[in-house]
Formats: sequence, structure tokens, C-alpha cells
Amino acid sequence: VTRRRAALTATLIATGCGGGAVRLPLFSTNWQDDRGASIGRVWTNVSGVAAPAQADVAVGVGRGGGLIGVALDGTGRTWSFEHPLDARPVVAANVVVGSGGGEAFAIDASDGHLLWKRSAPGLRLVGAGDDGATTVATFAPTGAGGSTLLAVRHDGHLLQQIQADKALGAPAALAGLAFVPWAGEYVSVVDLATGEETARVTLREQTSRAWTQAGALWFAGLGLIRFDERIRDASSGGASTVNLPPTGVPGNPRWTTDMAPLPVAADAQDSVRLYARPAAGEGAAIEGGRFYATYFRLAMGFDVPGGNLQWVMTHEATFLGGGAARGGLVLCDDKGAVLQLDERTGAAAVTADFGRPLEACIVRVEAIAPSAAANAAPLVQQIQKAVTTPDAQLVEVQKMLLPYLTKAEDESVTRTLIELAESVGSPELQSAARDALAKRRSGAQDMLDALAQHYDYLKDTVRLPPVGPLADALAAMNDKSAAPLLGAQLLDPQDSPDDVRRAAAALVSLAGREEATALRRFFGMYRATADDDDIASAVVSVAKALLALQDHQGMAEVKAAVDSGLTASAVRDQLATLDHP
Amino acid sequence: MKCGASLAVALAMAAAGGAGPDEARAEPPPVAAPNAAVPHEPAPFVPLAGDAVQRLRSGNADQIASALDDVRVSGRGGASAVPCIVELLQTGLPLPLTIAAIEALGDTESSASAEVLSWYVRHRDVDVRRAAVGAIAKTRAPNASRVLRAALSDADPAVRGIAASSLGDLKAFDAETDLFAALDRGVSEAAKPIGALCTPAECDRLAAKLGRIPFEVVSSGLSNVLLRPPSEIDDAFKIKLVDRLRDMGTAEVHGFLKDLQSKWPARFSQRVKQAIDAAVAETAASPGTPSPEGSP
Repeated sequence: VTRRRAALTATLIATGCGGGAVRLPLFSTNWQDDRGASIGRVWTNVSGVAAPAQADVAVGVGRGGGLIGVALDGTGRTWSFEHPLDARPVVAANVVVGSGGGEAFAIDASDGHLLWKRSAPGLRLVGAGDDGATTVATFAPTGAGGSTLLAVRHDGHLLQQIQADKALGAPAALAGLAFVPWAGEYVSVVDLATGEETARVTLREQTSRAWTQAGALWFAGLGLIRFDERIRDASSGGASTVNLPPTGVPGNPRWTTDMAPLPVAADAQDSVRLYARPAAGEGAAIEGGRFYATYFRLAMGFDVPGGNLQWVMTHEATFLGGGAARGGLVLCDDKGAVLQLDERTGAAAVTADFGRPLEACIVRVEAIAPSAAANAAPLVQQIQKAVTTPDAQLVEVQKMLLPYLTKAEDESVTRTLIELAESVGSPELQSAARDALAKRRSGAQDMLDALAQHYDYLKDTVRLPPVGPLADALAAMNDKSAAPLLGAQLLDPQDSPDDVRRAAAALVSLAGREEATALRRFFGMYRATADDDDIASAVVSVAKALLALQDHQGMAEVKAAVDSGLTASAVRDQLATLDHP
Repeated sequence: MKCGASLAVALAMAAAGGAGPDEARAEPPPVAAPNAAVPHEPAPFVPLAGDAVQRLRSGNADQIASALDDVRVSGRGGASAVPCIVELLQTGLPLPLTIAAIEALGDTESSASAEVLSWYVRHRDVDVRRAAVGAIAKTRAPNASRVLRAALSDADPAVRGIAASSLGDLKAFDAETDLFAALDRGVSEAAKPIGALCTPAECDRLAAKLGRIPFEVVSSGLSNVLLRPPSEIDDAFKIKLVDRLRDMGTAEVHGFLKDLQSKWPARFSQRVKQAIDAAVAETAASPGTPSPEGSP
């Protein structure tokens, strides 16, 4: 680790020279855990210090370049700032920090005016914190390991430039101290006046980020740890900690970032991610008992600690970024709209607009609270909309949402499952819907209506009903009104062999004498031409149905088929095992 | 008639002819020459071998296959075997025999087979469906048009095509609506039967598709329209149609009109013929038309 005094550092950055390094144990792994002694002292010293004021702002990277700020406080105030970017900017407290064009810079988040700018060739921003007077930012050198930490007062005076051979995470600043996560489990406390590491804590949670919010200092990686009096017990796992429960949202979304610069333009990891806000008050908790996930065009609310879906909102554009607020979630999309969503229902309202498409969006919310919008649809309807939205990008999350849908006995759910099972968009979703449909025990009339449909080229009816799952469900429901429809499906050449097999199996219990003709016809047409296991199985089921009906002609034909050398061997062998009266 | 009864009929036929089954197979009477049929009289056929029905009832695949071959050779002369073949299809045959049996029924042209053939128009095997659609048309059974119209909705393009063509062969005037629907859905084989069956208004509707679907498709139907007797399509309509084609002025129109010119029946209207001749001359210089021999 190399630390340079501020004055010297400023000169070196200006001249582009190196050298003059002094080795210190800062960010050294050659460190004995002090069992919370040093971090406890820091807590004692700063516990009475108020966290810095935080902006309520959304900052967009416009398509084609440039930063745009939109105030979220209801004033609609906007600003813009032009500067090259080589990494995603960061909003810390009331400051927007960025890097690009060989410079690091900070602007006021409330009006976009430049606070400071420094030469920083080859450095890409990782993260930043701000205590209201000093900005602390970490940078990754292009094409090399290690990190650089800069501490710059708002008047542009460089307090510290520290180069570390370790990757440093996103730091926080509080009361003249920098809290710097590194190596995944440490947070070092650096005195910004001296550049000395005054304390360190070992966290038993993977940690990559520190920040101030809700009046407190937080560390997060996989879980969320509060900087409070229990922080001294962190190395033994005793810190105030809360974790987000698993949700099943595909793509392993995260709510923090790695210790590396983010690309300027948002990517899939920005569109598929989690949002949660630490609660004010004592200990570690999640605000409102809600956390959120986005999956491209979908936003979802989950409860804590269950991780159960509470709502899902389907949007027309892809979400790029956001922030959890008190009472809800603020998101911005790639078309430039900013939405506020209610934590209880997901009811959404567009509250601001960048006026242009965005490449990326950073949201910082502190004071605002999305108002509870009225008229949110019930959860079942929300899920129905989400799962029937034709979008290949959504297939995985649609599969994840299906079990939530099928929990409801609502007959409209059966209709939705039939629609999905008939759709040709995604075989995987279709398969999941067929499985769910086979287990339905409500919505019989919708099932019968679907079962009445057949392929018809001239009428452009080319979507086939999910005959097999419908047959399974109706048989389980012992709905005998399905029998004639199943008989007709049995003879439809467009039905898949699996569908035919399941229709025939259902007819064993559902068929009445009226179906005997169709059963005999199927038996005659396929007892010798069955060319796969499903059709052979269907023939045997039909034979069982004929025997069960005591249909004399059918029984005679089945008996003759057992003795006939023309009968397909797979069929004959199984027919021979049946109980022939 | 049941298969057993048909056996009796076959045996009775063999006895009446004074020849046993083996003799009947060894010396079949000469087959009538093609195109030698006297109008309004059925063409002569080869009598069915006396043991054919027995072989159909044998339960042996090879015997059944040979009997079906015999039925096909006999054509309408194999009518006595129809009940047996129908029964075999009702109770089921392996795939190759199924197709052979369907084709044999088609060759007998027996309407008694229409019901079972209509089953097989809905078989899962596409070759079976194609054979069944072709066969049912040959039976000219009362339900054939309905079955063929339904087959226009089959998933297989060949089944749809055969059904469309067969509706023309059947002169199924009630199928025009379905044939137009099929044509609009890309069943190009529907154009010919439409041309063969259309009323003047429907023919006009077909002509209106010029420029909207491939010329060779529409022209296959229009050719039928123009070559229909004056009693069905009057000369004025035909001249109007020729003029419409002429106005398109393309090389393919020129080729079509030249072909029509060569086929024009001598007994048909000379007024229409003159219109065709004039149109051929006027479209000779259409872009893409091959130069006459010897021209630069």
C-alpha cells in the first residue's frame, strides 16, 4: 500500500509523476483481529454524528452521452452535465461522482454544478461516499490490479490519495472518516485527515459496499449490516444483520455490486436485480417489510422474511435502475420515465421523465415516499398479465411466477393456463403451463370449451388445445361431459401422441355408451398401425374402455386383436394382459 | 353386404364363369385398351380372382396384400371384395396394407367404401390420409364432397392439394366457397377446380386475383374458365377475360395466351378465338417475351 501526503499527491497527479511511496499497513491482511476493539472506539466517537443529508434524485446517462439529473422531490427540477464517462457514475449523499476522459469529478446532485474535478488518468470509478464536506471515492486502474482511493473536499482540495494493491469496494464517509470495504469481509476505517487506518472490522458477511442511509451507516454484500453498538461483535457474527430471503427470481439478482467499476451503459445485471432499503430505528431491518426485484420489464414486491411474492407490475419498457424508498420503490426505464411503485400493491405512477432514452440510470432516494396509488389489480390479475406478456426475455421469470398463479382456485387462472399451454412462444413456458393445467381442479367449463377446439387450416385455427393436460384434469374431476370431446380429440390427427395417450386414459373412466363408436373406430384404425409407445398405450386404454363399457362389438374386436397376427406387437402384448370377460 | 356374404358372391361368380379360382387367376381376360370406353357405358374390367375374398379373410398379411393387388387390377370389377376390404379397414391393418386397401377401394369406385375411407382421411399417418383423400374422390359417394371440403383444412399441404383437385373432379359446385378460402390460404391447387366450377361472378372473383397471387396459379384456373363450353361461360365473359389478360402485357400472359390459342377447340366461338389471336399478337413484344426465331 502506498500513501502519499495530500500536497505531494496533488503535485504528482498534476505532473503525472510517480515515486516517493511510503509503505504503511493500510489494507494489509497481516493484521490480527482485535475482536472489535478498534471499531468499537470508532462507534463510540461517531455514534452521535448525524448522517449527511441525502438527495432525492435520479441521474440518467443519456443515450448518446451526457448526464441528466431529475429531482424526485416533486419539483420536477432537472439539470444536465456533459463529461466523458468510462464508468457508471455514483450518487453519494448529495453529490454525483464520475470518471472519464482521464478525470474524476463531482457535481452537486441538486443542481448539477461542478464541485470539483481532478486529473485521474487510467482510473475508473468503483464507488463513492460523501459526508457533506468531503467526497471519498475508490477507483480501479485500467488494465491493472489494486485500487486508488481519493478523498476530496467539496472545494476541490485533495485530502488523500491512497493507492492499494487490493481491490477496494464502494466506501462511505462519515465525520471525517472513510469506511472502506475490501477483500470481501473487511471494512477499514481511514482517517481522512491523516490517511491512517484507525480501525478495522471483520464482517462475517460478504461485503462490498458501505453507505449512509436512513440516518445510519450500513455495510452490505449478500446481507445488510448496521454500524451500531453491536458492530464490535461483528467478527464473532454478532453484528446487527438482516438478510434478504431467496425469491426464486431467475438470474441470481443481487442488491449490491462487485468491487469493480460498472459499465457506463446498463446491462442485464442492472435490469435483473434486487432493491431493499434499510429501516430507520434500532438494529437491522428492511423498510416496510418489503424488498423488490426487477426482471427487465417486470417489477416485483416480496415480503420479509418469507420472500413471498406480494405483487408484480408489468411495464412497457425495461428497467435500468432504481432505489427502494420509504413506502415503495422508485425505478427508471430505458425510455427515460421515472416511476414510483407502492410497496403494498405495486400500483405505479410515472412521476418524472428524463425526456430522452437512457443508457443507464442511478437513483438515490431518502425523504420521498411513494404515495399509495389506488386501483391496483389483485395479485392474480397482476400475475396473469405478467405471464401472458409475449416477451422471450421474460420466459424464465414467467415460469417462476406460474406457481404463484396456480395457488389461486380462480377459474380465470385455468383460462390463463390454457392460453399459455396453447401458445407457441416458449416451449418451456408452454410445458410448465401444461403441467400446472393437468393439476387444476377448477375451471371445468373453460377446459371443455378448449377441448372443443380442433386444428383447422382454412379457419387459421392452428393453435392446438392442451388435450393431454385437460384430459388429466377432467378425469380427476370425473367430469363425464368431457367424454364426447375427448372422443373427438382421440381421432384428431393433429393431436400429439402424448395428448392422444392421455385422452384415451381419461376415457377409461369417463366414456359412456355414446363414445363406443369413436372408441371402436380408434381401436380399428390404430391397433395395427400404432407406431409409437404413446399411440400403443392409447389403443390399450381404448380397449380397456370398451371392456369397461361391456360393448359387445368392441369386446369382440379386442378379443380378435389379441389373436391376430396383424395387431402391432406392442399393442397385442398389453391387450393380452387385460381381463377379458 | 358383409365380408362373409361377399365371399359367397365371389364363389358364385367364379362358378358361373365355369372357372375355379386358380384358373381365373391364370387366365385373366384381356384388359380393355385405355380410352376405348364407349361413352355412358362402364369400361370393361378384369374379373376378380375367385379366391381373392378368401385371401382377404385369411388374416395373413401376404395373402391380403396379393388379394388387394388383384382388386386393384380388377378396378370396378373388384366390387365384390369391397365389403371385405371395408371390414379389414374397420378392424385394422398394418400401415402398408392400410394404404393398399384404401387404394384398392378407390380403384373399385364403390360408394360403399366411402364411410370407412372418411375415417382414414383423419388418420395420423399422412400417407394414409393422402391415399384416403384420393380414394374417396373416386367413389363419388354422396358424402365425398363434405369429406373433401373438410380435408382442405388438413395440416398437410399435399392432402389439401389432393382434396382441392378432387373437388374439381367431383364437380362439387357446393365447394366453391371452401375452394376460394383454400386459394386465399395458399392452396394453389384450388385455382383449377374453381375455374372448372365457378359461376361468372365467381370466375370474375378468380380473375380479380391476377396480380395478387402468382400468375401461374390464377392462370391454371382461368384456363379452365376459358375452355369451358359456351353453355356454362358465355363468349362475352371470355372476351372480357382475354382483354383483361392482354392488358397485363407480360411475357407470362403472352405464353399463356399462346398456349390457349393452340388448345382452342374448333367448335368453340370464333369471336373469342379472334380476341385470343389479337391478344397474342399484341403481347408478343411484352418485356421478357422470347424473340421469334431468326429475329435479332
